[in-house]
This record gives sequence, C-alpha cells and structure tokens, in this order.
Amino acid sequence: MNALKSAFRNPPLLTLILVILVWIVASLTLRGFGAFGHLRYLLELSAVIGIVAAGQTLVILMGGIDLSVGAVITVTAILLPLISPDIDPTGLVGIVLALGIASSIGFLNGVGAAYLRVPPIIMTLAMATFLQGMLVIVAGGSAVSVTNATVIWLGQARPFGIPAGVLLWVAVSIVVLLIIHRMPAGARFLALGANPLATELSGVSVKRNTLLLFTLSGFFAGLAGILILGMNRQGYVGIGDPYLLTSIAAVVLGGTSILGGRGTYAGTIPGAILLVTTTALITVVNASPGWRSIMFGSLILALLLISGREARR
Amino acid sequence: MSATTVPANLYAAVQKRRNRGLTGLYLVVAAFLVVYAILFPGLLSVGGFSKFTQNWFPLALVTMAQALMMLNGGISLAIGPMVSLGAVIAAVTMGGPLGVLGGLIAVSVAGLFIGAVTGGIVAYLRLPAIIVTLAGSFIITGIALILLPRPGGYIPDWFSDLLAGHTPVAFGLLVLLLIGWKLYLATPLGLGIYAAGNNPVGAFRSGVPVERVKVFAFALSGLLAALAGLFVAAQTGSGDPVIGTPFTLNSIAGAVLGGVAFLGGKGTMRGVICGSLLLSVMINVMFFLGFPPVAQYVAQGLIIVGAVAIPQLTSQWRAKP
Amino acid sequence: MTKTKPLLEARQVFKGFFGNPVLKGVDIALEPGRVHALLGENGAGKSTLINLLSGALQPDKGDIVVDGKPVSRFSPAAAREAGIAVVQQELSLAAELSIAENIGLGALPRRFGLIDYKALSASVAEVCERVGLTEPLDMPVGDLSLGRRQMVEIAKALFRKPRVLILDEPTSSLSAHEAGILAGLIRKLRDEGIALLYISHRLNEVQALCSHVTVLKDGVVTADQPLAGVDDEGLVRLMVGRDAGDLFPAWQDHPAGAELIHLKKFSAGTALDVDFQASAGEIIGIGGLVGQGQEDFLLGLYGAIPASAEKAEISGSHRPLKRVEAANQAGLAYVPADRKHEGLVLPHSIASNLLLPSLGNLVKHGLRDRAAERNLVADLAKRLTIKGDVTRPVQALSGGNQQKVALAKWLPLDPSVLLLNDPTRGVDIETKREIYLMLQSFAREGKLVILLSSDTPELVHLCDRVAVFREGRVVATLPRADISEEAIVGAAMGVSAKGAAA
Repeated sequence: MNALKSAFRNPPLLTLILVILVWIVASLTLRGFGAFGHLRYLLELSAVIGIVAAGQTLVILMGGIDLSVGAVITVTAILLPLISPDIDPTGLVGIVLALGIASSIGFLNGVGAAYLRVPPIIMTLAMATFLQGMLVIVAGGSAVSVTNATVIWLGQARPFGIPAGVLLWVAVSIVVLLIIHRMPAGARFLALGANPLATELSGVSVKRNTLLLFTLSGFFAGLAGILILGMNRQGYVGIGDPYLLTSIAAVVLGGTSILGGRGTYAGTIPGAILLVTTTALITVVNASPGWRSIMFGSLILALLLISGREARR
Repeated sequence: MSATTVPANLYAAVQKRRNRGLTGLYLVVAAFLVVYAILFPGLLSVGGFSKFTQNWFPLALVTMAQALMMLNGGISLAIGPMVSLGAVIAAVTMGGPLGVLGGLIAVSVAGLFIGAVTGGIVAYLRLPAIIVTLAGSFIITGIALILLPRPGGYIPDWFSDLLAGHTPVAFGLLVLLLIGWKLYLATPLGLGIYAAGNNPVGAFRSGVPVERVKVFAFALSGLLAALAGLFVAAQTGSGDPVIGTPFTLNSIAGAVLGGVAFLGGKGTMRGVICGSLLLSVMINVMFFLGFPPVAQYVAQGLIIVGAVAIPQLTSQWRAKP
Repeated sequence: MTKTKPLLEARQVFKGFFGNPVLKGVDIALEPGRVHALLGENGAGKSTLINLLSGALQPDKGDIVVDGKPVSRFSPAAAREAGIAVVQQELSLAAELSIAENIGLGALPRRFGLIDYKALSASVAEVCERVGLTEPLDMPVGDLSLGRRQMVEIAKALFRKPRVLILDEPTSSLSAHEAGILAGLIRKLRDEGIALLYISHRLNEVQALCSHVTVLKDGVVTADQPLAGVDDEGLVRLMVGRDAGDLFPAWQDHPAGAELIHLKKFSAGTALDVDFQASAGEIIGIGGLVGQGQEDFLLGLYGAIPASAEKAEISGSHRPLKRVEAANQAGLAYVPADRKHEGLVLPHSIASNLLLPSLGNLVKHGLRDRAAERNLVADLAKRLTIKGDVTRPVQALSGGNQQKVALAKWLPLDPSVLLLNDPTRGVDIETKREIYLMLQSFAREGKLVILLSSDTPELVHLCDRVAVFREGRVVATLPRADISEEAIVGAAMGVSAKGAAA
C-alpha cells in the first residue's frame, strides 16, 4: 500500500511501472508483441521521441516550451543531404553542419525569448511557421534521399544487436541526466522554472540560461532529425511534424510539470516508451487513426489529472 | 471640494476609452486596405467585397475565439481542430435527415459543449489551459477523423451559395456577431472576463463567479471556432478532417496583432477584429503579388515575433533613465 | 452602557498552513457603531483572521458568527450577503476596467440582463463623492496612482452598503489629505451604526479613530479591551509582549573601515539623484515612508534595475553594476522584502535554496560535489539554527525560518556588502533578535550592512547612520547622535524634527 502511494507521488516511477505492466499484459495477450524484434523496434521508435524530448524536457523544466522542434527536425532532415559535401566520405562534416544549423535555430529562439521578451510558446511557434515556409521556398517541395554514410549507419546499424539509435539515446540520456541532476546548470534551470524572479536575484542570469536551453533544445531536435533521416533514408517537408506534440506528451507523461520547476528526464524516458507502446497497441488492435488520436489525448489528460494536481496555479 | 466627474453617458465614455492605443493599428489597417484596393480595384464591387469578406470571415471568428481564451489568461491549441470538427459535422449532417438547420444546431452544440467541458476542466481542476487544450486538440482531431476519415461529405449548394456566393452575407453575419459580442460584454458575466483575466483573486473576492466566467468564455470560444469550420465547409462544399490546422496559428497571430496580451485581461474585441482584418489583407496582398502560398508562413512567423517584440522593446527603451 | 449585540464574531477560531498554526483560538466581536482596532506585529495572524471574517478562508476549528448565529460554510458570497465588506491591502481591482465598472463589480445593476450603465453611473457617483474621488468614472483604474486606487477600493466596499466594514491598512499608500478624508468617512460610518474593523500600524491613527482594541500576538489574543487609557507604549507592550528596548541587542561600537560605496547623483527607478557614502563595518539605515524610492535604490545598487550616476564607486566597480551576477562578484548580496516571490524558490527544498547562489563554487570535475554541498548545508543550518530536515520544501517553514534561509544562502559567498530590504517583516520576535545579532556580527567582521526598514525602531537601535528617503530623494542623513524615531519620521513626513512628535 505504501509502495503504491509513493509510486503515485513519484511520477517517473509510476510511468515506468505502467510501461512494464503494459508490456507484460500485451506480451501475454497479443501474439508477436513480446518478441525481441518487436520490443527492439518499439525501443528504436522511442529513441527518436526520447531524443527530441530531451531538449523539450530541459526547456519545460525552466518554464518554457519549444514548439519548433518538429520544424527543426524537418530542416535538419532536408538540409543534411544537401549540405553534406561529396568529398567527405564519412559524412561527419554534414552532420556537424546540420547540428550547427539546428543549434543556431534554437539559439535564435532563445534570443527571441530572452532579449525580445516574446513568450517562448509564441516565439517557437512563430519560428516553426517561419521555417515551414522557408523550407519550401529554399528546398522546394520534393523529398531528398540521403547518401551520408554515418547517417545511414546511425539509422540502420545494429552493433551487438542493439540499434545504433537506441545507443545514441542511451548516450543522450546519460548526458541530460547528468546536466539535470549533477551539474549546477540543472539546478539553476529548475529554480528558474519555479521562480524566475527569486532565482535572478540570487545571481542566476535568466537570459543566459534561456539562450543555453533553447540552443540545447535545437541541438537535440537536430540530432533526432539526423536519426530519423537515417531510419527513413529520405527527408521531406513534414517529416518532423509528428514529433512536436509527441515530445511534449512524453515529457508530460513522465510527470514533469508543464509549468516548470519540477520534473526530470528520468520520467521522460519511460514516458517516451509508454507513448510509443500505446500507439503500437492501438495499431495492433487495428484502431483507426481517429481512435488513436482520441486515446492519445485522453492519456495526456489522464496523466495530467493524476500527477499534475499539485501543479495547480 | 471639487465634485466627481460623471460622464453624461458612462457606457459611451467607457467604450471610447477602449480605443486608446489602437490608433496606430487603425491607421495600419486603413493603409493596407487602401493599398489592397489600389492593387485590386475589384474589392470595391459587390462581388469583390463579398469574396474579400468571405476570406476574412473564418479568420475573424477564430481570432475572436483565441482572444477570448487569451483574455482569460490562457491560450488554446485546440482552435484549429475545432474548426475541422465544425466543418466535418456540417458536411456529415447537412446532407442527411437533419438538414441544414439540424446541421447548424449540431455544429453549434458541439462547439459549445466541447468548449464548456474544456473550460470546466481548466477552471474547476485548475489545470493550465495550454496543456488541456493540447490534449483536447488530439481528442477533437480524433473525433473529426472518426466522423469523416477522409475529405468528403456534402454541403447543399444553395447553402454554399448563400454563405460563400456573390452576396456579402458573411459580412452581415460578422456584424451580427459583433453586436452579439457587445451585448455579451455588457452583461456582468461578459465583463467578468476582463475582471477575472486581469486580477483573478480580486475578481473572486469581489463576487465575480470566476469559474463560471471561464466556462462561458471557453464555450463561446468553442462555438466561434466550430462556426468558422461550418463556414469553411460551406466555402469548399465539403468537409475535411484536417482543414482547420493552420487556424490555430492564424488565430494567435491575429490576436497578437490586435493587441491582446498574453497575461490575460488586456485587449479589446475591436482590436482583435482589426488584427484579423490586417492578417487577412496581408495574406491576400501576398497572394496577389504572386508570392507562393508558403511565403505566408514566413511572413506570419515574422509578424508574430514583431508584433510582440516591438512594443516590448520600445517600452524597454523608453524606461531607460 | 447597554451591551449591543455584535454583528460579526469569530469564536475560538484555529487556522494553520502547511502544519504551522497561525491562529490558535482567537475571539473577536465587531459591534455596530464602533471602530474596532486590530493590532499585532507582522505575522501575528491578522491577515488570516481577516480572511476568516470575510469568508476567503475557512477556520480549521471554531466558528464565524453572524448576528449571533454560527455560519457553517462561510464563503465570500455568504459574507457579502451578510453585508460584510473588506478593503484588503492587496487591491482587488482590474486595471483594464473603468472606475465605475470596478466599483460595481460583483454587484452590477442590471436591466434586461445587461449592465444598467445609467443606474451604475448614478450610484457610483454618489459613493465617489463621499470618498472624494474626482476622476472621471470612465477612466481605467490602471491609469490611477496607488493612493487613488486605494480610494477606489474603499468606494467599492462602500458601494455595497455594508453593515460591517473591515479596513486592512487602508492608509499605507494614501496621502495625508486622502487619509484625512478617510478618517472623516470612518467616523461618519460609525455614527451610521456600521461595525468597523481597522487594522493599521500607525498608532496615532488607531488612537484617533478607534474605541476598542484587540491585540494579536503569535496567533493568540493578548488584549481585548477599550482603548481609553492605553497609551502608545502600552499598545506596543501588548503587541511585542515586552518593552521595545528588550527586543534590540545593546548598542555596539564598530569602527568604520575603508569606503566601499560612494555615489553622486545616483538614480535608479524611482530613486533620484541620491548622494550616498558608506564604509566597511557600518550599518547604514534606509528609512522613510513606504515606497519613496528606497527599494529601487537597493535594486539599482544591486544591478537588478538600470541605474545611472554622475559618480559611482560600488565595491571596486567604477560605474553602476549592470547585472546581478556582476554585483555578486563585486561582493554584494541582496535579501528582498518579499521573500515568497523574490527571495525564495518556495516549492524547492531548503537545501536547494541555500545552495542556489553558490552552486558554481561547489564543483568537482565539472560535476556538483555532493559531499561539499551536504557539508555546506549542514553548516548553514547549524549556524542559523534552522531545525529539521533540509529536504523539506522551504514553504513548509515559518516566516522567520524562511527569512533565515533567504539570508543564509548568501553567507557562503562571504559578501562584503549586504543589502537588506526589510529583513524582519513578518518575522517572529525570536528570529528578529537573531537577525539583529547577526547584523551586528556582520559589521564586526568588517562587512557593510545597508538596512532598509519600515520599522523605525530598528533603524534607531541598530544603525550608525540613517538616510531618509522622501519622493525618491534623500532628504536627511542622520548621524548616530541625531537618530531618533521623531527625527526619522519627521524627515520622512517633510516636517522638522520638533514638529513631528507623532
């Protein structure tokens, strides 16, 4: 009983338990669900969302939100094949350039939010719209195929049977968890999210941290864009769109307060897996996209009701 | 001792005060309209005016819907899906036994009901509007997809012609809506939107039913978005479960242009109307000048940032000693 | 004298927050035709009691009694129904709405479901006349000064024709003229048979207006008696429970060291052209009425708001500091008055709050050094006698302990200049004493302490010099020998020391 109570008070744990329960039940009842290959596939999909949600978690912890991650993914996925120089056989130059562009977009978001004082939700929404238009104008509407060796390896290779994307996710998770829990920056982000004024008066620069966070969010979205490109082998306009709301949903499912100041990436990780699993289950039971969307929305609402109650304004 | 200054007509005086700070916006809108009329003289004919107002009408409605939410201190991410749902319900019902009137009622009831439920969750469970409407946007999109998995349905031709034909019916409807809005604001519940958005604790202590005010505002917002969807369906002659998607952003852009603040309680409906008109004219002008449709997006992104940042920066600059 | 029946009573009410009892069995009875004073220090429980009497909060135990009948679920609506109106310290006005709409809010006259602006105009004009509000009724409240807004708030309360009127520090932002109008109004309302509850820190007002007093101390009623025959000193004794002198530690001489701050024509926000000098080892007081630019002066020094100056030497910097971090690096630390919003991250733990300014200094190999952090927190908690589990959220602490956290978090940086903004506001007596002792030891260690205080006796007992602000400017700088309550209040009010014996 007590264990149950503490689980309810510990949203990351609650989400993890939920994932495990869903996996066990689904494996017992649905043929093929529990197969190693299928679970590995689910993890691979979760990795993409998890990496996007890494930046999103950081931004939300500080009381912001990044609605441009979908557009950043698309930008990276479309531009990377175009800017990878042919003379570089490894493809690393292209990756560095693409990540640079993604980070710069995040940096611009930060400039808008910190210096122009545009509320983050509006700044990033405007950025997303802007990018969406620019992409079509600059790159045209057609899909581009990727030949970049490293990108393809990232999307397709399975060292030791583990997809490279999942390994990348593990690396990202370690870095983000270290930032949040073991570095001064993480504590500052959380404090800024809970009370920006008091934190600023304690000598923590709101502006500098805002810049840093949005840049990180752009970087992680770019990283996810590269992974998606590798998995799809093609980049096209709209490829990143599904990841915007799913990244926010993964954060919320992980028990992080959407208002900032409380939460951890440790919750976002099972949050991303839960999200992918639920989507997969709905597909398995052959529900229509409409039902999938409804269940998805209800899931966010339900978790908000369970874990977000103390986040009252 | 000097006496209290009592205006001869308090209502008129209060209304006049609300124009403050909007002069610039009025001038910009007027200038854009003039430019547009020069570029496209057809605007001045009945047919041209009708077409112009038909393009503006759904934009005006969603901007009003979003402004209602922002006045309350929230922001809605479910405006676009609500427009889609309105269009879908109209397309599914109007050709059936319910007929046009039945369809109209179905759309209105759906808008009011979904808005009120969302508002109830936000107001009584004290959850942030942005995340509740985010969840709501999935659910509403889902319902639209179930009702009409792919574009289709049917809107009677005479109804399409009535709303989106060669007569300025849309403009007339907009005028009617504005009169309705004025009346609503002149009720205690309507005025409560401003009070509750400005100073929720104070409004609560003054006896304003803050929760009820919120639920009403959400319901009206849902109604406006759903009606915008109905109109869009009439324009296209059918329903499309994702046709409303761009309207979420449009509505925010229009409201921001119209001077509605993000923190709640600040902003006027006349500003909102001007904001949506400005946006509509800009989209039209860009189309006329031969920009690709996506250039709209680029412009909108810049407009939103500019509309928020410029007043911020000028006030900051002025505040420097 | 016949005993009149009270209109509104609290009987043995208890109320606590986060497990901290605030009211411990309080009784109060408001009778018609009487101005009842409620006195008590900050944090004594006055606001909580007012919230109970107005239905904004429900008592944990005990009854709210209206016309002799206990009310089971007392809500703001029920309070309004019963004719109880409150003028709160925090204004309840909507800045975007007009004066008339604000006054009528919640009780708007209606015709056919719409607001009857004609009727509203007439009835609002009448109350405005009474309180001396001459501004056009259609003016948005956001355009008014704080004092005028306060008058609108009072008009709003009167608009409801209350039987019981509760006034919480109504004069704190009023001009002398406005306060005079209010005093006349209060007497008139009293004569009309209204029951009034008057909360104020200004004892002269209380003496002039009230006939009965209830004194709260730490959530308990220490006096409930007619005011006749009790002088100011007696009231203070009732409030603090001892003579004012005992509260303060004995005066200590601490020699001034090197000059740390030298300002000429320093302006920041509402602080204008301030000339100011201070040296290490001094305690400099900043006095004056509330809101005369004192806070902006501190914030400007601290780099939190833009400042300009003809000459500014601030702890080694030759120009006004532009950012808070720069100020911290220069050895400045600031403790805000509003600790809940500006001083602390309330939902976070005591430890996180204590560590916030020094996070960057406790790093090993790029990561936070947990052991060093633990030691530091334990050390700070011990030095400031903050008891209990440091992982508790700081909002669970009492006001005094919260203030200790807000102060203690700076100690690891060893600041040379401490800017303290009303550090004892809402703090219990014991903690106050501890804070005073701490200030003295800071000065002994050679730190410069700049103490902004709304509590004049503090300035008198602790400071080497006091700079008195009025309308943004320093109107007097009193050396130790000249510091007295009379001198400070006199300078603050713009009268000579002799004439201000209030």
